[in-house]
Amino acid sequence: MTVTATLQHHRPRTLAEACELGRELGARAVYLAGGTELVPPANVAGRLPGEHLISLRELDALRGVQQEADGTLRVGAMTTLAELTREPLVAEHCPALAETARLMAGEQVRTLATVGGNFCAAVACADLPPVCLALEATLAVQGAGEERRVPVEEFIRGPRRTVLQPGELLTALCIPPQPKGSGTTTQRFSLRRGNALAVASVCARLTVENGQIREARLALGAVAPVPRLVPAVHELLAGKPADAALFETAAQAASEAAQPISDVRASAAFRHQLVQRLAKRALEEAVQRASAPTTEGAA
Amino acid sequence: MNDRAAVPQVNGKAAPSGASNGATTSNELGSVLIRVNVNGVPRSLAVPPTLTLKNLLREELALTGTKGGCEAGDCGSCTVLLDGEPVTSCLVLAVELDGREVRTVEGLGDHGELHPLQKSFIKHGALQCGYCIPGMMMSAVALIERNPEPSEAEIVEALAGNLCRCGTYPRIIKAIQSWRDFAETPLDTKPHPDDEHAPAGEARNGKSAEALRLRGRHAVVTEGVTRYDGPDKVSGRAVYTADIQLPGTVHGKILGSPIAHGIIRRLDTSKAEAIPGVLAVITGKDVPDTKYGVSPARYDEHVLAKERVRYVGDEVAAVAAVDEATAQQALAAIDVEYEELPAVFDAESAIQPDAPQIHPETPRFAGNLNTVVEWDFGDIDAAFENSHLVREKRFVGNRTYQSPLEPHATIARWEHHGERLTIWSSTQTPHYLQKQLSRVLGLEMGNIRVIRPAVGGGFGVKAEVTPLDLCAAILAKRVGRPVKMCYSREEMVRHFRGRHKQTIDLKIGLDREGRIQAVHHRVLLDGGAYTSYGVITAYYAGSMLPTLYRFENYRYEGKRVFTNLPACGAFRGHGVPQPRFAFESLLDDMAHELGIDPFEIRMRNAMEPNTRTINALDISSCEFRATLEQARQRSGWTEKKGKLKRGKGIGVGCGGFVSGAGYPIYRSNFPHSNALIRVHEDGHAATLHIAASEIGQGSDTVLVQIAAEELGIPYERVWLVECDSTLAPIDLGSYSSRVTLMGGNAVKMAAADAKAKVLQAAARKLGCDPHGLTAREGRIYIAEHEEVGMPWHEAAHLAFCANGPVIGTGHYSPPELGGDFKGSAVGTSPAYSFSTAVAEVSVDLETGYVTVERITDSSDAGTVINPVTFHGQVEGSAIMGIGEALTEDTLFDEQGKLKNGNLHDYLIPSIAETPRIDTTAVESFEPRGPFGAKEIGEGSLLPIVGAIANAIYDACGVRVTELPITPEKILAGLEQNATA
Ligand SMILES: Cc1cc2nc3c(=O)[nH]c(=O)nc-3n(C[C@@H](O)[C@@H](O)[C@H](O)COP(=O)(O)OP(=O)(O)OC[C@H]3O[C@@H](n4cnc5c(N)ncnc54)[C@H](O)[C@@H]3O)c2cc1C
Ligand code: FES
Ligand code: FES
Repeated sequence: MTVTATLQHHRPRTLAEACELGRELGARAVYLAGGTELVPPANVAGRLPGEHLISLRELDALRGVQQEADGTLRVGAMTTLAELTREPLVAEHCPALAETARLMAGEQVRTLATVGGNFCAAVACADLPPVCLALEATLAVQGAGEERRVPVEEFIRGPRRTVLQPGELLTALCIPPQPKGSGTTTQRFSLRRGNALAVASVCARLTVENGQIREARLALGAVAPVPRLVPAVHELLAGKPADAALFETAAQAASEAAQPISDVRASAAFRHQLVQRLAKRALEEAVQRASAPTTEGAA
Repeated sequence: MNDRAAVPQVNGKAAPSGASNGATTSNELGSVLIRVNVNGVPRSLAVPPTLTLKNLLREELALTGTKGGCEAGDCGSCTVLLDGEPVTSCLVLAVELDGREVRTVEGLGDHGELHPLQKSFIKHGALQCGYCIPGMMMSAVALIERNPEPSEAEIVEALAGNLCRCGTYPRIIKAIQSWRDFAETPLDTKPHPDDEHAPAGEARNGKSAEALRLRGRHAVVTEGVTRYDGPDKVSGRAVYTADIQLPGTVHGKILGSPIAHGIIRRLDTSKAEAIPGVLAVITGKDVPDTKYGVSPARYDEHVLAKERVRYVGDEVAAVAAVDEATAQQALAAIDVEYEELPAVFDAESAIQPDAPQIHPETPRFAGNLNTVVEWDFGDIDAAFENSHLVREKRFVGNRTYQSPLEPHATIARWEHHGERLTIWSSTQTPHYLQKQLSRVLGLEMGNIRVIRPAVGGGFGVKAEVTPLDLCAAILAKRVGRPVKMCYSREEMVRHFRGRHKQTIDLKIGLDREGRIQAVHHRVLLDGGAYTSYGVITAYYAGSMLPTLYRFENYRYEGKRVFTNLPACGAFRGHGVPQPRFAFESLLDDMAHELGIDPFEIRMRNAMEPNTRTINALDISSCEFRATLEQARQRSGWTEKKGKLKRGKGIGVGCGGFVSGAGYPIYRSNFPHSNALIRVHEDGHAATLHIAASEIGQGSDTVLVQIAAEELGIPYERVWLVECDSTLAPIDLGSYSSRVTLMGGNAVKMAAADAKAKVLQAAARKLGCDPHGLTAREGRIYIAEHEEVGMPWHEAAHLAFCANGPVIGTGHYSPPELGGDFKGSAVGTSPAYSFSTAVAEVSVDLETGYVTVERITDSSDAGTVINPVTFHGQVEGSAIMGIGEALTEDTLFDEQGKLKNGNLHDYLIPSIAETPRIDTTAVESFEPRGPFGAKEIGEGSLLPIVGAIANAIYDACGVRVTELPITPEKILAGLEQNATA
């Protein structure tokens, strides 16, 4: 890959500068985070998309993991997947997020790939959106005005489409304090153990109160155009005690909610089957975690 | 992944001004000034915004230890440390490096002293072709700097992004675990104690007396020594073709057809030629009419299509330009108009009468038939009639791809007065490359110099001339400058030459005791658009079944068919793994039906030494039974079989292969292997000149050992010249597992010749008969009076002073082999290997996911010359077999377009797939091999797939007959069983 004559590289030092650049350049510019989505196709095509590359590297506002006053965990958009796996605050408050990150790619890609890029690329098999749906996370978006927070389910508009307008940046992933008595897990299936993309994944968070399921958030990845929640699971489980047969029914509902395609990795029919089985495991695991003495919410 | 990032539309034209607001931006040309520290050296560099860190290192800073295998983050061979953390440098843009620190493999170690981890890799034999090793090393360094005593799980997690196609994983894990053991020790050639001696287990009763007699007699062979190429490969010093930067080099690229079948109606290159920086564009009319290929009777490829294109990717034009990007741009500007023709993508349809004809101009290919084999030995009809149990089943083996980590690369340069061509190529077969260049270009072989730099894995895919080699030579002539051409990952897969798709109808008849009465074997081979190695594949698919089990009645009908897909070629085990998988599967099912233990049925049918098979193959040494015995014992079969809980399974598979093809690919009277040994003037060392091809299997090491042993000097004192046709005589190359036996015999003979001259001089000095002298470990002495002698080097020095250069020559050709029926040459060999493997698996009954937990392998490879390379090959085969059995298949869409020409949807095993592997050899001695040696490189792959398939059946009762055995197929089988 060599020079595309008109391509310019920008290194804004502040968030405001970055947004302004993006606004001015509009569709001719592309933000560069870890580059793990952007660069591979560019290596094939011999060029990067757009004429301007706006690097997000120098933006301190996009870095670091902090806990806000209300307990919300704010994960800067430029946090890498490798950092997610090691960050103590993440391990403490939402271990499921760190566990999910550990299942993704290989170490040398995790060191580059960012949390922001994983949402903004909006690919069907991205692994962070489903678990963040389960965790009821929102995304902080910065444009010209005030920062706004968009729930994950609204952020991704379709395959490779997000709510972001030119000049808008994703600044952070915000995970609210997890409910008392809740447990979250990711069940991910890929065709190889090491470094392989998900064929299907199911993330579930169950909140258990007095032996009854108060809330069930179950999300699917890689089996629909965009990661999505399955509200039917909540409707089936809410107000009932955990029960194998019930989970079986819920898993069936999850499978029915999936809209997978057949591709090189698997057929749609197999993905339906997988969702059903992964969903059952996810529910079982989540309820176990919810009842374990050191659950996320209880901490 | 096929659904990558959101990409904004480009709608503007000029770069805007005043967009920067004080932020740093690139200058008008787009280059950006960065300051970056590379291996401790601060650098200021102007880099264009699209240059990757990998290319910055390799092309601008000449740090070529960092490799590339995919450009997509999938393989990890480009891993370097960025601010201490491992990154895939192919995904990092150089413009992002300002103020940062990069460490590469060249930055390891301390003032020429290797890093302890590098030493540990050498000691453990944790490298084969070496291509993945710099990247592995960097990931491992990052890990141990964070965590000096990582557990196995931590190593696996840290290295899951580093693929190794040679399957060196078990050794890499051990090397990382014990890296500190070597911190203080200076580097010598002693391997880790585990590999010090040739492996040998319990010998069975009839063990070869010769093997025992020789035990302990050798000073170098059978003793562990570290790999000859170890230090270069762990340090990034080993030079692969793409690492070479000749002055004035320009870059070539090939345009492939976008359609699967058609006629080129118009081809206009003027727009491409007009692009600044484009130096030459060639098309079919600029290349010779001579067709090339592998088998002389079926040369069927033009360098570039003359008229017809036959698969998506078929070569249509080629460009040379100042850089790759310009070449790529020029390809896009070539205007081609095709008349599209109906295409056919499966073998069954291709042989229907109304199928589109793929080679209509070649009468012998009528009906899309490329090769038809019909063998009939004994009387199968009567034998089936008399059988107690007859079963027939269809099996399908798919199009797996060799996937070496190093993509093919070539550099061509015309020299002298312009009539000599030098070509550097990542090839397994320098001689066949030379031969085809000579034929196609009309140039004498003597005017073609072939240099084979280090090769980053081949497994068969680099065993034939490629369009890269031919186009580079033609373009280089046109532009008068060296032309470098490299395949991308996708281009190499599109060119293919991987395994044939085989549809196998296998029928076996057994008597009451499970003895094989008759075998009927019908194979339809989907060969793709050209012949490549296919004739030989079609014969191999049938010829090797009778080498493992004895049977007298055998009919083989093989049909290799053209389709509009890329051509299939030779892949490790050439044509045999799929029939072997079929045979081992069906035999197991039948044993089950008869209530005979799978080991027992194999014992009852096992090949015996000194047997001529029904298809006229001469088996000399054969300790197959001993391998069965040993694998049964070491795997704990008796305790496990039938006693595992559902979801866990154990299975056995067997296999074996030739130790070198009995006949060359084209008829010639050249000895198959040739060697020269030149003793240095001072007598302290000797240099071995041989054009055999180290492609990772360890052949350099083994050949140097053989030379050292025969000369009577230590291993450390033998040099090996780089493979260069002006420095070493012809050798047929690395295919058909031929190097240890054939190259080894030639080397042994050359060494004996040189030694005789040295002994002459010693005899004169010592005043004795040279025949009474022994040379061993650098000393020459009278055999009966060991104390009377002299240093080897003094004798060699005297020999030089008396008669000038001390040179020994050696050559080897196999004896006349085979029968007098058509095609009987394929499968002949001076010797055959035998292996048994036991696989233990667990199957997730809900998702169908299979985990191979353990492989126990026992092999008869003759004398094991080097334990390190022996184990390395068997372990690598086990791991490659896991991929072949479970995940690998090359896929095409309905238009014949490749769907997974990458390493994220074509999944080769990662380190996380590494099972426990136990490898041993049995006592064996092959009279035709050097010091009794045979082969191990290919035979060891053959038992694996069947063993895994049988273990899966044992675990869950599902018999999958079509490879790969995916979770999807297992679930379907479980469901079928549940409803049945
Ligand atoms: C070998 C390999 C393995 C992989 N495995 C996995 C896996 O297992 N699971 C998985 O989910 N993904 C996987 N991926 C995809 C991986 O690239 C993304 O998950 C990654 O998180 C993207 O982040 P990035 O920082 O590299 O994005 P970039 O490539 O830098 O950007 C991606 C897109 O997002 C935009 N963008 C990035 N950050 C922002 C921001 N803050 N605001 C606005 N726009 C922004 C960019 O403009 C671009 O369009 C893999 C990729 C590779 C190469
Ligand atoms: S070349 Fe960078 S990961 Fe393969
Ligand atoms: S040694 Fe790892 S790819 Fe060859």
